[in-house]
Amino acid sequence: MFCPEAGGFLFDLRPVLFANGLLISVLAVAMGVPLLLDLAIGGGESRAFAASAAISLFIGFALTLSGRGSGPFGLNGRQAFLFSASGATLAGLLGALPLMLGSRHLRLIDAVFESISAITTTGATVMTGLDQAPAAILIWRALLQWLGGAGVIAAALLLLPMLRIGGMQIFRSETSERVELMPTRLPRLVGKLLTLYAGLTLLLSLALSLAGMNALEAICHAMSSLSTGGFSTSDRSLAKFSSLAGWLCVIGMLLGGTNLALFVNPKRGKKWRLLRDTQLRWYLATILAFALLLTFWYWAVVGQLPQRAVEQAAFQSVSILSTTGFRLSDDVGWGGFPQVTIFVMSFIGGCIGSTAGGIKIFRYEVLFAISRLHVARMLHPHGVFSVSFNRLRLPESVLRSVLGFFMLYFVCFALLSTGLAIVGLDPLSSLSAAAAAIGNVGRGVGPVIGVAGGYHALPDAAKFLLAIGMLVGRLELAPVLVLLLAGFWKD
Amino acid sequence: MIDLRPVLWGIGLILSLFALAMAAPALVDWQARDPDWPIFLASGCACLFAGQILVFANLQVRTRQFSVRQGILLAVFGWITLALAGCLPFRFGQLHLSFTDAIFESVAGVTATASTQLRHLDQMSPGILLWRALLQWIGGIGVLALSAAVLPDLNVGGMLLFRSETARLDDRLIQRMRRLLSGILTVYLCLTLLLFLLLWIAGMTPLTALIHAMGSISCGGFSSSDQSIGHWHSPAIDWVILLGMALGGAPFILHWQIARGRWRQVAGNSQLRWYLGLILLAALAITLWLVIAQDAKPLPALRHSLFAVTSVLTGTGFATWDWSRWTGFPLAILFLLTFVGGCAGSTSGGLKIFRLQLLLANAKLQLRRLLSPNAVLLPEFDGRPVSEEIGESVLGYLFVYILSFALLAMALSLVGMEFAPALGAAAAALANLGATISPSLGPLASFALLPTAAKWLLAAGMIFGRLEFFLLLALFSRNFWRN
Repeated sequence: MFCPEAGGFLFDLRPVLFANGLLISVLAVAMGVPLLLDLAIGGGESRAFAASAAISLFIGFALTLSGRGSGPFGLNGRQAFLFSASGATLAGLLGALPLMLGSRHLRLIDAVFESISAITTTGATVMTGLDQAPAAILIWRALLQWLGGAGVIAAALLLLPMLRIGGMQIFRSETSERVELMPTRLPRLVGKLLTLYAGLTLLLSLALSLAGMNALEAICHAMSSLSTGGFSTSDRSLAKFSSLAGWLCVIGMLLGGTNLALFVNPKRGKKWRLLRDTQLRWYLATILAFALLLTFWYWAVVGQLPQRAVEQAAFQSVSILSTTGFRLSDDVGWGGFPQVTIFVMSFIGGCIGSTAGGIKIFRYEVLFAISRLHVARMLHPHGVFSVSFNRLRLPESVLRSVLGFFMLYFVCFALLSTGLAIVGLDPLSSLSAAAAAIGNVGRGVGPVIGVAGGYHALPDAAKFLLAIGMLVGRLELAPVLVLLLAGFWKD
Repeated sequence: MIDLRPVLWGIGLILSLFALAMAAPALVDWQARDPDWPIFLASGCACLFAGQILVFANLQVRTRQFSVRQGILLAVFGWITLALAGCLPFRFGQLHLSFTDAIFESVAGVTATASTQLRHLDQMSPGILLWRALLQWIGGIGVLALSAAVLPDLNVGGMLLFRSETARLDDRLIQRMRRLLSGILTVYLCLTLLLFLLLWIAGMTPLTALIHAMGSISCGGFSSSDQSIGHWHSPAIDWVILLGMALGGAPFILHWQIARGRWRQVAGNSQLRWYLGLILLAALAITLWLVIAQDAKPLPALRHSLFAVTSVLTGTGFATWDWSRWTGFPLAILFLLTFVGGCAGSTSGGLKIFRLQLLLANAKLQLRRLLSPNAVLLPEFDGRPVSEEIGESVLGYLFVYILSFALLAMALSLVGMEFAPALGAAAAALANLGATISPSLGPLASFALLPTAAKWLLAAGMIFGRLEFFLLLALFSRNFWRN
């Protein structure tokens, strides 16, 4: 039935299978890292990882072989949709294998939740007792996030612009004559970006180990920060470590939430792109504004020492806005403001082209511009106005898709939180968990999910819904929704 | 610089009419031998005096042709003036509310929000109760005038869609207002009378019947009892109020059409279908939940959930009982419905049904565009294609709505409210809903214990929401004050 000739499907599924096979093979190879680590230190997880790697490798090869086509490899729009949706899901499912088979023996739903949470760089965990967890498991969780982050960076350049999701087309290479943001030779750029990503991770883990973490903790947190995931090696998250380590992670998360392409080629022509990029400015300004508000709250209302207040506020705003979700402390007992702020920040997110989730700064820039446009049109009904981004005029189609994205985001959020309420969550938790899942933040608020390992206590149906929410958020909504559209399967 | 004289003239006129309305509670109190009547009389005289000064001082302006900017100024400052004038009886009467509380109550009244912070309503003097009802009823007139005469012209959040329905293009504001007052207002008045009679027959005293008739048709929600409608324990009263709220949340143009016997236009109105469909769907879902999860009896559960859904959707805020005790699913549904609101051209608040329709049509279109990028697709409303500009305005409106909600919720928590009440109160204020949907601050709860700053923030939110955000935002645009 997968043959295009057999009728039914009017598009070729083979490239999708092939791409999925490659992805799974990469995942299988990645399982070698915890396997080797476990063999080296004798942690007793090696059989689980070896078995998972074998299964994944087998599936990967099977898919690759069955999807191998003649001629050069390439994906068209629909195939790209299908690949992004199926690839992330498949990777999430297979990534769960070591967690189930390992000494922790997670239940299926827990393992899948954990794995999808990692691969989507959400960082909502159902595991507790992390401090005593085997090293191989910890590194695997971090690695999954890191790979997820790498996948997002690659997809942001290669797949999403092709799909024209939520205005991503302005990053599309073909349209660069209109809005020139990306160099044209994409594969080389992706290579450079991933090198930068890896380099930054290495640098951060070195810095973290100098700040007092051991090697495992340093690597895990570096991977977690730059991929804006949020898994830690401790139940207390970053509260276990020194304040210097906290600040280093802030830098890591901050970088993770920026458009790394700006650093690859910082000087373009005579202008410094870093300084002229409006998205970066807005991103930093938003973080600063929230950090100041939170500092005020922690200092003036909660009554903390100024130094501690600044640290906590900066950490919190960067952690949520970059959609990482590290915690420096539980938010219980500090009043409503940090909770509401975390909830609101979950909807903002980092820059487009980064590993962060959420609606993203670029889209907010466009939305603000559209609102201003609306006021201007009210006062001058016959005027002609346009919206610009980075001083370049945005085409109408970009505006439309940004607005459509915004609407769909809230529809998804409303559906998810209603679903969570149906399966038995209290209103506060259902709102917060839905926002944290779709925004790929991972950190919720409230007495249930606001505490360490809080997702563990949720009903299975809620975990399932949240895992879907994470995938939907990570895939920028459209791939999953399009799959639901009847027209996708017909022609 | 904008010529402010017509604006001041308009405000003076509104204020004078408002002053005349104060005669009603004065009369009622005088008859009940309540010592509050001189306060109403004095406040009325003061307002009349101020109003007449404004009218006469600006009488030399012969042109009553309001420009766009003057219209915006009139709407914004007219509302604020009414709120200020309406607070006089609360401040100086027997209640002796603080300035903040008086303003809060008055703003809640004239924006037809009706979130109250008064307690022991059952023992209150009839004049004050009638005054609160009158405030929201007058507010309802303002909303109708705004949505029929001002918002469509300005295309606030896509309201351009309704311009052709209300009047011809060449009409000037004042002419349109006049025609409106003759048409829609007659309907408004008749429906109030009808509800009054029905409630009277159903067993209320004449005064309470009048108060609740005014409260339901204007989608306000001030009651004369602390238990709101639950006080009467009467299904008949529940159903009548339900009907009143549902009528208040439907487009008044349609009521006018029905009155003139044009049924076909009503049947073809997709906004009305969506509105009723949404009410039924949500109510059935909640009923099902109550029956299954909480072992409620089906019929009373249906009545209570229909009532709650209608009350929340139309931004009224009457309650038959404390919904906050329905935890989980019903609360989540009601919270989300807060944002939806009733139909355009009604007295309800919120996003409005037609915007939701357009937003969903747009979102669906966006998905289709992803599949066939080169197709030319336009969203449709009532079978007519809708221009790109309207679609954009609606989405811009949604963005501003959600942004204001986020900012207001943050501000409320900053002044000391907890997470759930802050979210619930912010959503309710912006949607002009009197009842807060949150586990700890339910529909029967009073706002009295909120921090003073929170009351001011909520009052500002109510006005912001009532003026459909963009009227107030326009004032902050640099273009507005430039020539």
